[in-house]
Amino acid sequence: MKHLFKSQMYKIILALLVLFLIVKIMWFLIALMWLPSAGLNYQEQKGGKSLYYRVKLTPNEIAAPTTTKKPTKKSSGSINDVTLLAIYNATDTTVVTVKYKSKTKVLSRGDDINGFVLEGAGRNFATFSKNAKSYKVMLLKSKTGSQSVKAIKSAPSTTVTDKKPKEVLGDVTDAGDHKVIDRSLLDHYAKNMDDIYKNIGIGEMKKDGKLKGFKVTFVRRGSPFSKLGVRRDDIIKSINGQEINSYNAAFAVYKNIQNIDNLTLVIQRGKEEMELEYEIN
Amino acid sequence: MQMVKKILITLIVLWFAILFFMPKQELYFKLEKELAKNEIKINEQSIEEGLFSLTLHESKIYVKGIKLATVQKIDFFTLLFYTNVEVTNLLLDESLRNVSPTQINEVSVVHALWSPLKLTLDAKGSFGGMHGTINLTGKTARLDFNETKNIQMLKANLKEDEEGWYYETSF
Repeated sequence: MKHLFKSQMYKIILALLVLFLIVKIMWFLIALMWLPSAGLNYQEQKGGKSLYYRVKLTPNEIAAPTTTKKPTKKSSGSINDVTLLAIYNATDTTVVTVKYKSKTKVLSRGDDINGFVLEGAGRNFATFSKNAKSYKVMLLKSKTGSQSVKAIKSAPSTTVTDKKPKEVLGDVTDAGDHKVIDRSLLDHYAKNMDDIYKNIGIGEMKKDGKLKGFKVTFVRRGSPFSKLGVRRDDIIKSINGQEINSYNAAFAVYKNIQNIDNLTLVIQRGKEEMELEYEIN
Repeated sequence: MQMVKKILITLIVLWFAILFFMPKQELYFKLEKELAKNEIKINEQSIEEGLFSLTLHESKIYVKGIKLATVQKIDFFTLLFYTNVEVTNLLLDESLRNVSPTQINEVSVVHALWSPLKLTLDAKGSFGGMHGTINLTGKTARLDFNETKNIQMLKANLKEDEEGWYYETSF
């Protein structure tokens, strides 16, 4: 009787099967002891709120002006008749002296002249609002400076950008109960992330190894960030109602920063919780 | 001679068996876990196991909870002595457009036994083409942008020599 397979062949096949079995068992044990059987399924955290409305509930005060999308050149012409002569600005009081139609008038915050309501003042300017638009009136320096008025929203001069494209444009101005951030300033920082970290340091706050929030580690003196009112050791609790307790939440705010018109920052300073309000104009 | 032949065949069969029975998916889960320790998370829509490869489809990459990139296909291929990771259609988040090109069509990272202390990197995208090497002993990396198209946003971090623009870093 002739054998179909040689006994040598059986041996080889058997040896191969044993080898495969050994390898399989080896991998099985490795997987059992060291390898996870399931992957991580990361649940994306939702970012910042898409809509945010700033509502002012304080009686007898006008609400903060909302955005004025269309740049106006002459529609606010009558503000040009108002000349700012003097400013007295304290933490609780703002008084300005203006000249209107050759008459001098003293205004405190909330007073109006020719329909323009005094909102606040800075070191060398006063801000007025009318029909949901804000106007900045510069302090009169000399008789040649006839154009002392400018709408806050007005774009910065292009000549400056031509010479120094990296220069930070715009500023943060005090409008009394809130601060006004020039949109060009915001745009600059939105495009140049590195510039943010040169002016403000923000560090992680962790508890039991988990991120709980962010803390201001330094604010460069004289930078726009110092004018925002934030200080070293302030804890950032929320921005526009969105709790800032993750990188995703912080990044969501950063991503949408160019599309927002108002900013409310809740910070914790020591044991006190403070709300800082900004208008982007 | 017969003995050498036998040993050689056994080694080839063993090598094949190791690759064939390798729990590729579980090894990927382990990699996922290790990356998660550094707050890098990958969410893939599906995983496909091949004889020598593992392919991830429609993956989203998160760094510290921020979605930074979407990748159509990530292909891990290994013969143990030669490993290649190929990334197809990598789309970076729009918010990074000021610092990096957002569209990268192909990325290939190769590690081979004949140069074990080096990783080679090739990429093609909206920026043109890039070839780079990562020195694992010196812990340095050099990426040469040899076919530059639109690298304006990268130039702040690049240096230039007679061969063109390049990026150099150590880690």
